[in-house]
This record gives sequence, C-alpha cells and structure tokens, in this order.
Amino acid sequence: MTGRVVGRGFLGMCALFVLAPIVVVCAAALNGGRTMDFPPTDVTLVRFVEFFVTEEVWVRALTNSVVIAVASALLAVLIAWPIAYALWRRDSPAAKALAALAALPFALPPIVLGVGLGFQWGFLGALGSIWSAVLSHAALFAALPLVTVSIGLQSIDRAHLDAAATMGATDGVIFRTIVLPQTLPYTASGFFFALVLSFNEFIVMFFVSSSAYATVTLQIFNSLRNGFTPTMAVGAITFIVVSVVAFSLVARFGDLPRLMGADPARSS
Amino acid sequence: MPDVTLQALRKDFGSITVVEATDLTFRHGELTALLGPSGCGKTTLLRMIAGLEAPSAGRIRIGTRDITDTPAHVRRFGMVFQSFALFPHMCVRDNIAYSLAIDGAPKAQRRARADELLDLVRLGGYGARRVGELSGGQRQRVAIARALAQSPEVFLLDEPMSALDAKLREEMQVELRMLQQRLGITTIVVTHDQREAMTMADSIVVMSKGRAEQVGPPHEIYHRPRTRFVADFIGKANFIDGVIEGGAVRVGPALIRTTPHAAFIDRSPVTIACRPEATELGAADANGPSGANGLPAEIVFVRDLGPVQEVHLRTSAGMVTVEQAGSARSMALAPGERAFVRFPPEAIRVFPRTVEAAA
Amino acid sequence: MTAIEARALDAAAEHGASVRRPFAWLFAAIVIFLCLVPFLFVIVISFGEKIEGAAWRWAFDATNYRRFFVGADWPATISFLYLQKMWYSLYFAVIAAIVAVLVAFPFAYLITRQSRQAQTLWLIFLLSSLALSEVFIVMGWDILLSNRSGLPMVLRETGVTDWLKAEGYFDTLRAWGLANPRDVRFKTSDFATILTMTYLVFPYAVILLYPGLSRIDPSMVEAARTMGAGPLAVVRTVVLPLVAAPLFGTVLLLFVYLLGVYVAITVFADPAKQTLAVSVYDSVRGATLDAPFGSAQAVILLLTAGGFLGASLWLKQVAERPA
Repeated sequence: MTGRVVGRGFLGMCALFVLAPIVVVCAAALNGGRTMDFPPTDVTLVRFVEFFVTEEVWVRALTNSVVIAVASALLAVLIAWPIAYALWRRDSPAAKALAALAALPFALPPIVLGVGLGFQWGFLGALGSIWSAVLSHAALFAALPLVTVSIGLQSIDRAHLDAAATMGATDGVIFRTIVLPQTLPYTASGFFFALVLSFNEFIVMFFVSSSAYATVTLQIFNSLRNGFTPTMAVGAITFIVVSVVAFSLVARFGDLPRLMGADPARSS
Repeated sequence: MPDVTLQALRKDFGSITVVEATDLTFRHGELTALLGPSGCGKTTLLRMIAGLEAPSAGRIRIGTRDITDTPAHVRRFGMVFQSFALFPHMCVRDNIAYSLAIDGAPKAQRRARADELLDLVRLGGYGARRVGELSGGQRQRVAIARALAQSPEVFLLDEPMSALDAKLREEMQVELRMLQQRLGITTIVVTHDQREAMTMADSIVVMSKGRAEQVGPPHEIYHRPRTRFVADFIGKANFIDGVIEGGAVRVGPALIRTTPHAAFIDRSPVTIACRPEATELGAADANGPSGANGLPAEIVFVRDLGPVQEVHLRTSAGMVTVEQAGSARSMALAPGERAFVRFPPEAIRVFPRTVEAAA
Repeated sequence: MTAIEARALDAAAEHGASVRRPFAWLFAAIVIFLCLVPFLFVIVISFGEKIEGAAWRWAFDATNYRRFFVGADWPATISFLYLQKMWYSLYFAVIAAIVAVLVAFPFAYLITRQSRQAQTLWLIFLLSSLALSEVFIVMGWDILLSNRSGLPMVLRETGVTDWLKAEGYFDTLRAWGLANPRDVRFKTSDFATILTMTYLVFPYAVILLYPGLSRIDPSMVEAARTMGAGPLAVVRTVVLPLVAAPLFGTVLLLFVYLLGVYVAITVFADPAKQTLAVSVYDSVRGATLDAPFGSAQAVILLLTAGGFLGASLWLKQVAERPA
C-alpha cells in the first residue's frame, strides 16, 4: 500500500506548509525584545499583558475589532436571511437579482469596494464612524450567511412543510416552528464565518475608517512601513484561537463537510 | 478447472470483526449467492474477493494460486456495483471497452469487443448513447457488459437488482442466470433477497453477523435449514418454543413428536419450526390424546390470495400461520372460530433455543 | 368552506402581501445602497478631475482613462506605466492561482477519501488558516524569509549556500534575482511574492474543490480498479475528467481574488513590479493623492475582475448542461 503512504506524506507536507508561518508568528509573540526573532529570544509572556491590558492602543483596537465584527456579522445575517428565504420560496427574478447584488461585494476585489464605500460615507459625513464600518462589513460579508442559509433551506424536507400545513399551520407559524429551528446551525455557521472574516479584514476598514480609529488588523497594517513587533503577533494568536473556536463550534452543532458542499448521503 | 477457495478469511474494522474466519469454496462455473440481512458481512466478503478490501487474516486462492496479496487492478475480477458506477463522461461503448483501453488495445479491437458484448446483453446498437440517456435496466446491462469485457476469471455482483423496480427485477434475475450459464463463468452474487437467491443460485451461503450459517443448494437450504436463523430468513416458518421430553417436544399440555426423534437431552429448551404450507388445519374437536401432534387454536385473520389461502391463528404458544391451497377449503373459516393446527412429524425442524433466538 | 370565508381568506392574503410590499422595497433599497452604490460612486468619480492636494471636483472627462492606457502626456509621449502595473497584477495572480490549484487538487482529493470525522478536522484546520488575515500571513513569511533570521540564514549556517556557490548554482540564483553577491535572498523577489500569494489562496482552493471531489462516487474509482486501472490511471481516466470544469472554475475565482492583493505585493515584490491594486491604494489614500485617477484604475480592475468572473460563470453553465 505504498500509495497510501505517499498520500499521507503529501497531506503531511502540505499541512506543514500551511502551519509554518502560523507557528512562526505565534512564536514571535514570545519575544522579549522589539524584534521578530525566530526562534524567540528573551522568551517572555509580557507581550500578552501589553496587548490585552497595558497598551491602550491595542486594547482600543481590540475592542473596535470585536464590536465591528459581532455587529456586522449580525447585520450580515439579517440581510442575508430575507434574500435566502425569498430565493427558496419563490425563486423570482427579483430574489435572484438581490442575491447577485448581495454577493457582488464579496466576489469582486475588496479594494474597489473599500474605495467606493470611502467616497460614499464621505459624502454622507459618516466617514470614520464605527457604524459605517459595521454597515460596510455587513455588505461585504452578507454573501456568506446567504450561502450557508440557502444550503440549510434546501435541506428542509418539503414533506415537513406539507404536514404542518395539513395540521393548520400558516406560513408564519411554519416559519417560526419549522424553518427557523431546522436552519439554526446554518444560520449560526453563516454568522461565525462572517464574524471571523470581519475580524481579519483590513482593506475595506482602511478606507472606511479614514484614520479616525483602528482595528487590530488595521493597526498592524498601518505599522507596515515601520516593521512588525512581537506585540502584534499576540493579535495573530488571538485571531487564530477565535477562528479555531468558531469553526469548531460550527462543526460541533452542524455538519461541517455537508456545509462545505459534501454529499449528505455519503457518510464514510 | 480451478475453484475459488477462501481459507480462514477474516476482516476486522478496528475492534469489530465484520467477517469471522470463513472457509468457503466457490465451484468453477457455478453461481453462488451470498445471502443475508444488511450488516451481515456479505458485501465485505465480496469486496475482499475483488481485492478492494485487504483481509485481516486468511488466504484467497484460485486453484493453487494464492491471490491474497494481489491488488484489485491485477486480479481484474469483473464486478457490477450496486449503483452500477458507469462513467458519466464516456459513452456506452467506451464504458464497456474501458478495460481494453487501459491495456492499450487498438480502437478497432475495442469497438469490436464492445459491440460483441452489447449483443450479448441485448443492447445492440446502443454503443454511442450517453449513460444519462439510459433507463435503470439498460444501465444494469451496460454494467454487466463492462464487467465481462475483460473475460474475467470471476464475475462479482453486489446487490445488482436493488436499483431496479420489482417487475424488472424478476425478469433480470432469470436473464442474468441464463447468461451466466451460457458463459459458464464462476459467479458470486451478494443479495438480501432470498427469492433472488433461490431463483439464481447453484449454491447459497446464508450469512449472519459475519458468519456463514449454512452452505448448500436452494432446495436443501429451504427444506433442511440447519439453524433457526436460516429457517427464519428463508421463506416463512411457524416457531413454537418448547422443552424436550423423551425425544419429543412438550409445548404446554401438548406433546409434539418429530421424525426423526429430537436428539437433545430431556429438559433442553428448544424451538420447533414448521413451514406454513406444511402445517395442517383441522376442526376444533380433532384433538385426541397422542395422535394429534398439534395445538388448539382460534382463527384470528384469513387472507385469500388466489392460489393459496393464508389463515392466521392464535394458540397458547403464540401465533401460527397456515397456508393451504385455495381448493382445500374444508371448513368454514371465520375469525373467532375454534380450530386445531397439526404439525406433521416429518415436517418439523428442532433447534436449540439460545438467548438470542428467544428474543 | 363557504364563499364568504373564501373571500375573507383571499382578502387577508392580499392585505398581508400589501403590508409586506413596502418592507420588501425598503429592504431592496438597503441592499442596493450597501452593495451597488459604492461601485457606482467609483465609476462616477473616475470621470472627475483632481484639484489641489487631496481635493477633486465633479467633471465628465475621460482624462483619467487616457492616462491609464497611454499616459498623461499623450500624444506627446506614450507611457504604458499603468498598463504595465496591470500586467504585473495579471502575472502574479495567474501563476499563484495555477500553482495553488495544482497543489490543492491532490490535497483535496486525498481529504475527501478520508472518514467524515477526519474531513471535519481538516476543514476546521483549513478554514482557520483561510480566515487568518493577510497581515499575519505576510508577517509569518516575512520572518521565515527574512535575510537575517529566516531561510537565507538557515541555508548559510548549514553550509548549503557554500555548496551552491561551489556547484555554480548560485550564479543561476543571482540571475533569477534570488541572491545577493553573498547570500541567498528571498525578499524582495518574484518567488517570495508568488509563494505568499499561493499560500494565501491555497485554503480557498481546497474549499472550492471540496464539493466536486467529495461527490465522486467511490464505486466509480473501485470499478476502474477492477478493470485493471492502477492508481495513476484511475486519476487520469476517471477523476480528472469529472473535475476538469471545477478545476478551471477554481483557477478563475482565485485569479480574480488575487487581483486585489495588496500587502503581499508591497512587502515581497520588487519595487519595479508593483501591481494595480497597490497603485489604486497610493492614488486614493497613499502617496500620490489623486482620487479620480485612483477610481479610474479601480474601475479597470473591476472590469477585468468582472470579465473573468463572468467567464467562470459561463463555464459553470456549460459544465452543468446535460451531456
């Protein structure tokens, strides 16, 4: 079975390739000095304290990151749900058009969206406000819950809806008692996808925040010219942990392979 | 001409043994059915023979040639899968000639062989069609033709009829059997349908929980089942629990005699089995002391199926079904009527009663 | 049901619908405002005219586009500077997209053959690395490829650099821009840029290929094996034909994504090989403040991306047409 050994070896090498920079960045957070040495010199956990407690710039940035991520993910779900529902119930040209519009910001290079939103909020005087950032990210990431909720709706057995109707349930009741509960894992995973990606996004944030405030990734992005510091690497570790937790939750409460497109029937 | 033999063949998945150490011989040119309920290991056994699963222990031989370590693509046993697994991106002819294409055979030869097989499965002229255009029955024929194109030593089929509707299934069972006999190729078919096995096979291997319970021709499996499982799985049977008493079986007040005498010691718990068509139905006052060999019963349900009549009765030892020819209606049969069911001694099989069987 | 009850039901449905309709229009307006209007802004402003400093005014003037294609002083002088930047955008994006798919294809295929639980673990791993911001990824590769403490140092300390010099390969590396007179060097180079960009989209590639590959019926692979196909023949004759369309579609999607990459380019690419995305940034908020011109470049980028996206959608339709 040499084929199997080669296969495993290939998977392992790819995994190492994916892990290499992540491990390096995480280790860099342990550096005592100001330089990003690997292996870390002067190993210390002081950077973590700096990031979460003492250095105000990072604490503020982290707060902004969290607020914007949570709020925009919620809003993205609220935008995506009516569209996904309309697409599923009626599949009208209007629904399809709205779905295409909602997906547009995500499919095209985000730098263009960033530039456009920068102009837009500028005209409305909302440039540099946290709320315009929330709206911007909601627009950018609405495509994600749109996809996951659509998958969820497709998985609803139409027979359940017919059965409920024969027992006297109106559309509203069916929605509340059958559709919503059955699609809850998909709604949640759409929310988490949007949350994690919003956390990590900086290009659109750059144009929309206009130096009025910063998120963690934006702060790092701004410091690009000056070079990276170990305190920034703590941000990296935080974000990785958040991602792993978020996706593990999605896997725990939903069917992750199915969500990513695998055939529901096959369960090897 | 070599037979296919399995020696102590076993398959474990982790800590679960799916196929227990099995010794089997598949005679050359015969069609053997691996029959059993889902999860009994029959498909795993077939896949080990094909080379798609590596056995955890044991050897597989063709004649004296040990093929246990030969990979599937060298063994090249033609196999028909449950879903047929036809290649959607190839036309029918390319599907059938696939094995020749792998060998690098020239186009003319591939075409000729494919046409030859299309005629064999009575799909002549379908060569250029796409797989998506075919009906279920047609797809099955193409799958059969494809597997046979490489003139394999062994022909394997995994539940080949399950994707077909009932009527087509019966037709194809006969047709496949006739094809197999014409070609004289050693064939192994996995199925959970006992009628299918009885129709097609020279020899049936009845499997349960990874073990071969009985091996034999259909007639023997049906009339002389060796375990309660086999008696229950093949055809229908009435099962009555009792206790051995002097070579006969005591069921409550009745003493049921068997021919030959039940060869168990006194007081062993046993179950007797009698096929519904062998069980006799008599009038309520026919229960005499010793010659009766049966139980009083009350009619619960009557079904007239045309050629036969099915009568369900309740006895002190459980439900009993009697099947009799439609013309043998000798008494008024209505639910609630009292009657007597008789088990002819030569038609009774006696099995030891284990904890599982009692469930 | 009586006729009166039937009419009441119809009226209720009508009322329900008419109550819903304004909400529907409001909702549609919000979506349009958030998802379409920004792009319209970019298009409109691209026809504007720059005035002093960071300011600009409305106009209807194709100067910016002329500047993009043939230079500001045309017809006096011709400059293809921006077309060149566009070229570098395409160049880096296409190579990284193809390499990513080449590696991701066997990777994704092997994953789909594993147990459901193993697949879930791999997916969590991939999704987490996919979500990781470009800044962190660039940070990591910056360290790994840094001249002082990264791969070049490792090669030097282990003697590989000396071996390369002795064998003459070192000169080849210098010709490729991968070495200083003394050491192997990865920053800045095409190699480092493409490496980082490939790394960026590799998880996307696996996730895009995952549905198609997981839907391949394993019995088809097994059937091929029973007919004499060894592992390579199976991939060549069964797997590849079935995934050719998704493979190509994935390359296109990744390519579009990579057109917008910024950080990796600024850190790892040669200053002479900057891309259009970098130029847009510079024009709008960076060194060369010229918002209308930045918008014009963004529009070109948009049209290019949109064109390729459209091509991939069309391909998808072709692939799904019944054979």
